[in-house]
Amino acid sequence: MAILGVPILEDKYPYTMDMWPLECKEFNRLYKFYEHLKEGRFTTTRCRTCGHVAYPPRVICPECYSEDLEWIDLPTKGKVIVFTEQIRGVPLGFESPLIHAHIDLGEGSPIRKILSRIINCPAGKLKEGDEVQLVVFPIPSHPIEVKGGEMKWVDRVFFAFEPVQK
Amino acid sequence: MVRRVCIVGGGMSKWGVREASLWDLVQEAGKECFEDVPGLKPKDVDGLIFANATAGRRGFQINSAPICAERLGIKPKSICARVDVLCASGSTGILLAYGLIASGMADIIMVVGAEKCYTPQKWEIFYSELATGDHDWDCVHGLGLPPPFFAMVAKEHMKHYGTTKEQLAWVSVINYNYGAENPKAQFQKKLTLEEALNAPEVVPPLTLYDCCPITDGAAAVILACEEKAKDLMDRPLVYIRGGAQASLHACSANWPGEHFADWPHLKVAAQRAYEIAKVGPEDIDVAQTHDCFSISQIIEVEELGFCKKGEGGPFIESGQTKIGGKIPINTDGGLLSVGHPFGGTGIRQAIEIMKQLQGRARFQVEGAEIGLTHNLSGLNFEHTIVIYGREPVK
Repeated sequence: MAILGVPILEDKYPYTMDMWPLECKEFNRLYKFYEHLKEGRFTTTRCRTCGHVAYPPRVICPECYSEDLEWIDLPTKGKVIVFTEQIRGVPLGFESPLIHAHIDLGEGSPIRKILSRIINCPAGKLKEGDEVQLVVFPIPSHPIEVKGGEMKWVDRVFFAFEPVQK
Repeated sequence: MVRRVCIVGGGMSKWGVREASLWDLVQEAGKECFEDVPGLKPKDVDGLIFANATAGRRGFQINSAPICAERLGIKPKSICARVDVLCASGSTGILLAYGLIASGMADIIMVVGAEKCYTPQKWEIFYSELATGDHDWDCVHGLGLPPPFFAMVAKEHMKHYGTTKEQLAWVSVINYNYGAENPKAQFQKKLTLEEALNAPEVVPPLTLYDCCPITDGAAAVILACEEKAKDLMDRPLVYIRGGAQASLHACSANWPGEHFADWPHLKVAAQRAYEIAKVGPEDIDVAQTHDCFSISQIIEVEELGFCKKGEGGPFIESGQTKIGGKIPINTDGGLLSVGHPFGGTGIRQAIEIMKQLQGRARFQVEGAEIGLTHNLSGLNFEHTIVIYGREPVK
């Protein structure tokens, strides 16, 4: 029988094929975003110098280039502006129906709209104007080589939105 | 001193699902391009720009420009570089070559655009699409494969402007029927409105013929300073009058418009391109707009100023993009029927506009003097426009 796959990669972690971000502080100065997610908080950065709120979060303010930024909370509930449901041809790593929605986070939010995946929702149920809320879920952990080839495992999470049960 | 720059010739490989590698396709396009300019030999080309977005992802190949040059027997002396703006890589290569020749840094540049999209297993084709947007913030939501995003664009256009599914279908019917006569097209198919309306669903409201296919293919053009262009051929000269590229956001959360069917970044690019080329939308005789989806072309004719905002659907339904209409568009079949190998698309568009202005297109717009090409990139973060003319900007 033929050997499937790429034999030399057996037991290896090819980051170039990982669909999730490297969230740990060894690789990402925005690691707090993911730590906040684990606490159920949806956050981004605000500049203490000019007040600009950026999403995605930054390490430098894109308006005034200050490095003096703070983490702020964004709303964890919003309303669906428009959405799509993909039933067939969903990319590997996602389940059908793959639902996306443009979400209005409300007038008070410094980031008004966000495009997110909607989970925990069967096909044909979502409607424009529906209320949705943040949902955080675990994603596969990955190894980092520390010293002498030793592996440290990094736990990861990511977010989507889900319908608010009426 | 700014020199005048001409597009003198071009050629392409057959586009589609090809039993060929990236470099096989590049050689096929290069051969046809040199055949189109019989006076030119590879050794006369002093610069090469390779427009390719995904060889690093789909082919384990980076720094690909020198390899492209070697495969084509070209030994560049002025420039040898790869450019990636995904779907607009080819047009971007043309804009950069224009700048280099206009400045005097280069005399004759070949711009080659190519993409090998099919990998041995289908999952990887779609999986790699998760690299085409802001990976950490958008693509992690399963965005990247374009139909879901453009389905939302279509729903918003229907909601705000009353566009119908039939109007979307007219874009496909008109473009497919141009492409039916194009031997290089992925699909040579006469399409009827009825077939388009009864096609299988992709992501509602988009159905099969609303979406461009996944394509392997290559195309190449030669750009030269006016003096060299006159020596190289006796066809009418076609000048690059100017162009522009605009990007106002990259993550979907920062969408620059009121809603997904409002594309202010295209308007910004168009205004600047028209200013630089010293023309207005009413002066354009023939155009190539980025019909990655039927709805895209409807919005593009609005934002490019060919009709009023919101009237793109009726504009196309009433035949204004057919030969004899207000502005024939995608007269070689467009992305919908010829296909869309990212780096190749802008080059294909340039070839069609060049042929239209030289009077040798398959569906000829009589007396065409000024032509335009337009691309959008990825999940709509960038718009690229090139304007060509029988006369240089004075």
